[in-house]
Amino acid sequence: MNDRKRVKLPVDHLSDELHIAADTDTWREVTTKLKADAPNEACCFLLTRPSRGVRRTTVLIREIIWPKSGEVTATPGSLEVSADFISRAMDAAIDAGPMVGLCLVHTHPKSEIFGEGIARFSSRDDWYEERLFPTITLDRPDAISASIVLGSTGDIDGRIWWADRGRSLTQAAHAIRIVGPELTIVETPSSNWKDHPDPTVMDRSTRLWGKEGRRRLQNLRIGIPGAGGTGSLTILGLATMGVGKLLVWDKDIAKKQNRHRTAGVTAEFVDHPKVQAMKAMAESLATAEPFSIEVYEEWGTTAEALTRLKDCDVIFCCVDKFAPRVPLNDLAYAHLIPTIDMASWMHPDHNKQIDALMTHAHVWSPGIPCAWCRETLSSFILMREAQGRQQAIERRIPYGLALEETDGVEPSVLPLNMLGVSLALIQFMQVALKITTRTPNDLKFFLPEWELDESDRPVRHACDCVLTLGLGDTLRISPVEIE
Amino acid sequence: MEALVQPSELLLEAVKDLSARSGHAFQISPTPVPGTNLFVVHTEQHEYRQEYTVPSGGLGFRAPFNFPDAAPEDSFFITAIDTKLITPDSVRRTTDLNRAGRADGHVNGSALTNIPVLVFSWHLWDRVPWNRRKHTLFDHYTHCVRRFGLAEHD
Repeated sequence: MNDRKRVKLPVDHLSDELHIAADTDTWREVTTKLKADAPNEACCFLLTRPSRGVRRTTVLIREIIWPKSGEVTATPGSLEVSADFISRAMDAAIDAGPMVGLCLVHTHPKSEIFGEGIARFSSRDDWYEERLFPTITLDRPDAISASIVLGSTGDIDGRIWWADRGRSLTQAAHAIRIVGPELTIVETPSSNWKDHPDPTVMDRSTRLWGKEGRRRLQNLRIGIPGAGGTGSLTILGLATMGVGKLLVWDKDIAKKQNRHRTAGVTAEFVDHPKVQAMKAMAESLATAEPFSIEVYEEWGTTAEALTRLKDCDVIFCCVDKFAPRVPLNDLAYAHLIPTIDMASWMHPDHNKQIDALMTHAHVWSPGIPCAWCRETLSSFILMREAQGRQQAIERRIPYGLALEETDGVEPSVLPLNMLGVSLALIQFMQVALKITTRTPNDLKFFLPEWELDESDRPVRHACDCVLTLGLGDTLRISPVEIE
Repeated sequence: MEALVQPSELLLEAVKDLSARSGHAFQISPTPVPGTNLFVVHTEQHEYRQEYTVPSGGLGFRAPFNFPDAAPEDSFFITAIDTKLITPDSVRRTTDLNRAGRADGHVNGSALTNIPVLVFSWHLWDRVPWNRRKHTLFDHYTHCVRRFGLAEHD
């Protein structure tokens, strides 16, 4: 590579944490094709969309724009990108909307001249990007752009570019998230992840997921909307397993009736916010060091909570209604945040005896059918739920039948919740730590069959989970605020 | 579970769009019907079908707080509860309206106050399922009006 005196880049601060994220298929296509050009360098553009949380900004990369013949001149040590290619990419971004930017991805391949290609921006890269990105960013203040360099051994570096008050500014990315049925987080040289100071406390677990898995658990930030029957047990499990950062939402006040099915609600927390009980329980159990748990006395699907959930690497959906599952499902695909949904269900017969019960843990993530594909969610189910005490009234009215009102409260028992949470934690081990070769879409337990089932189902044609993948903040997600 | 006491911006926009496209002044209840998360959307004056004893009156339906993720109820209502067919239906041999029944408490919380209404359970969305990214309240209204043109028996 032609090294030269480094230019001073206009470094600034956009977010405490910066990620670049792609779905697995897009990432595989980019890396496979670019690396095939080795020993020459290679490049492409991708359209970007922002995902702005509270402490983290993620640049989501989607549609790939490949150079046409003659638009790029490459050697093992240099890359010349033509003005035509840049114009074509910028036109595509402009056509896609004001929040859409560009990500330039290029390689530092292994070559006989330079040896292994290191994923660090060279002085030539700095010089070039200092000229390129003002062109890309300055007229597009709502878009966030990015640049990625791929090394030859799997290492990656990245940085973000954006416009602010007439200047094009940059900040180093901390990690690249590659999201499919499993979550891969590649740390950049700017990563702020830390190892546990005393890894021996996790000796038995580390034998399964290794030092890398332990480091990942220590640094993952996990969001948990709902701190009831399933949420409390999830918090217990994650804190015990060594997850370093938890965010928990629940607006409920703990009642004496919660104690027999909710972990951590000791007598002293009755009549106090549930999340306070969760905080005390998690802090007393946590094995990560440092460990932090932030709790919010609010529902996990308000507009503010949905913004904060964009800071998370994984979400456990522990809500007990269908309506709040809608924004959480949409968030998983549009913002590339794997979400593990748990649900338990009981069905009474005519004598009000339970004749069927079910619990499941379903992963919502790119490459796995969403809740709408699986028909866990449908507009009809949501409408039924909204009917509340008047559920299915339209079936009764034409026949002059009186409305049977119900308070809509289903039974809930600890063993069933615990089984659902266990299935979810097994899914989590696979999604976040890849303990086996394949992530099951859905683990289900049924009674009366007494069957533990991996129930796979294909993606529905043209479902939202395919169409909205990585749309980030350009997709309107409606908050759900309920009492 | 109870929704916020006010309809969402999306729902308000949808009702505005419905009024503009239908030519009828639709309004939405300020709060959900008690015990539900459904808002009442109605117009005071709408023509009924020619075969009815009452030519016009109020017409409406109920839409969930989380519209358009959740579909409107698969039904609609008219306010003239004593409406009958002028001539008996040839198949059912009655002047009662098909699959329609009086409902109390159906529109509580709306400008209609606590009046009983005649609810039509006619499966408006039986052929094409509601699509949250595509369908509008106007599509729902169009289904209601379309059903007015069909036979008075199944």
